[in-house]
Amino acid sequence: MSEPAAVIEVRELTKRYGTSRGVEDLTFEVSRGEAFGFLGPNGAGKTTTIRTLLDFIRPTSGSIRVFDMDPRREGVRVHQRIGYLPGELALYERMTGEAFLRSFAELRGGGRRGSDTWPRISDLADRLSLDLTRTIHELSHGNKQKVGLVQAFMHEPDLLILDEPTQGLDPLVQQTFYAMVAEERARGAAIFLSSHVMPEVERVCDRIGIIRDGQLVTVTDIGDLKAKALRRIEIHFDRPVSASAFSSLAGVKEAIAHGDSVLLSVEGPVDAVIKEAAAHDVVSLETREPSLEEAFLAFYEPHEDGERSE
Amino acid sequence: MSALLKKTLRDQERAFLAWAIGLALMAGMYAAFYPSVRDSATDLQRYLDNLPEALKSLFGGDFTTPAGYLRSETFSALGPILFLVFAIGAGARAIAGEEEGRTLDLLLSAPIRRSHVIADKWISLVVTTLGLAVVLGLTITLIGPLFDLRIPVGDLAAACLMLFLLAVTFGTIALAIGCLTGRRGLANGIAGALATITYVLNVLATAERSIAPLRPLSPFRWYLEPDPLTTGVSATNVLVLLAITAIAYLGAWLTFERRDLRA
Repeated sequence: MSEPAAVIEVRELTKRYGTSRGVEDLTFEVSRGEAFGFLGPNGAGKTTTIRTLLDFIRPTSGSIRVFDMDPRREGVRVHQRIGYLPGELALYERMTGEAFLRSFAELRGGGRRGSDTWPRISDLADRLSLDLTRTIHELSHGNKQKVGLVQAFMHEPDLLILDEPTQGLDPLVQQTFYAMVAEERARGAAIFLSSHVMPEVERVCDRIGIIRDGQLVTVTDIGDLKAKALRRIEIHFDRPVSASAFSSLAGVKEAIAHGDSVLLSVEGPVDAVIKEAAAHDVVSLETREPSLEEAFLAFYEPHEDGERSE
Repeated sequence: MSALLKKTLRDQERAFLAWAIGLALMAGMYAAFYPSVRDSATDLQRYLDNLPEALKSLFGGDFTTPAGYLRSETFSALGPILFLVFAIGAGARAIAGEEEGRTLDLLLSAPIRRSHVIADKWISLVVTTLGLAVVLGLTITLIGPLFDLRIPVGDLAAACLMLFLLAVTFGTIALAIGCLTGRRGLANGIAGALATITYVLNVLATAERSIAPLRPLSPFRWYLEPDPLTTGVSATNVLVLLAITAIAYLGAWLTFERRDLRA
């Protein structure tokens, strides 16, 4: 059986609710083996999109294909291949972690080709330091989230749909989570990760779609986004240097002289800046990798013309 | 047995045991009261004879025979109340309860059809209600003779069957309202109100000629008339209750299949 290149194919998806905003005219694809980040503030429409992918809610218009199947008509076959972590995770509070995971493994008919998923469940639980003998209502929010993660990963799905996966996890466990995602990707699984915070997307994804007010603002490679982001450079000279020598250079958006230093915000290559700096005596040079957070925020700046210089 | 049905039944285990114990205690208590009620039946009968027609049909009956006593006490009053509360609660919880508890998204992310979820939840409702009917029947059969309450097993089974069917009917109605609205409280409330209204309708319609034509609309009309405790099972009654259940089930399926799940 030949596999289509796209794991998720969303075309002109619109979902309107009675009163609340849904999503408007979304189009994007997630390829096989790709990690796609779906980024936007809370309430932008991320969960709405995910819930249409899983056929919990039906599109007002537009089309959705998952593994080249219609999630509505072939839901069982689609869901077989998906691991899903809900954004607002609710579990069966009176079950123990073990009973819950065993019964969900049974609902899924085991792992790949019906294999017993228990060894993998207990392995994942060990790595996340999750005690499966405790009743779920006794667990902290973070531990419940771990149960949800094990549930999503246990059957080695071809597509992981993770809605805000690291919420409630402490930093150490987040590292384990990133390692688990990396292993799934190495296995060939595609990842669809929604988040309102940049770092988890930055860690996991190749490509991101930024959603705002129900509309897809942009779909871009993480690399491109970083290239667009402003790099902060601080050059310390042996004597004060005028900022105006730098402010006219290609890519420089901002230049401020401060004592013996010049602080720069640069978009794209820093070549011109380095060459200009070389004309003076440089004591030290510090540059900070642009955080995607800043690039991300740039999309949410109110002015449309992209002017960022002051 | 499907994994979902197994899980659903396991979820209900504790609640079912509590109900079964409560029900057995109630039935045992009724059995224990039988001798004293029978012995004072002549006084009671005189009192009952003076009641208005509607109330007579409600409480009336022959308290001097086991069949009459069980009909008036167990199968006309507390029995239906307990069974309906149980079945309506289970029906409302089945889909709407999971939806309000936000576990339904997770459940449906597994490779299971919505229709399959409804079916397994409904089967679980039927199995547990049947279990309670068996507990009731067994308690009366085993405890009754200790208090002179003896009744042919077939007749008692017929009455338990009708009580079971009545409860499943209203339980399925609650399931359907839950499937339509996704609201557990609403499903409980509407199904409970329907039960109350149709119960009152059935009682009043025996006395009040103007509403008598409406009486067949009440599921209670098809429950104890003709009296299963003396005449056994009526096929018509069974079929009518099953038909109402089937319509409610179809409604549950069609509405749940089509609508968006609540966030």
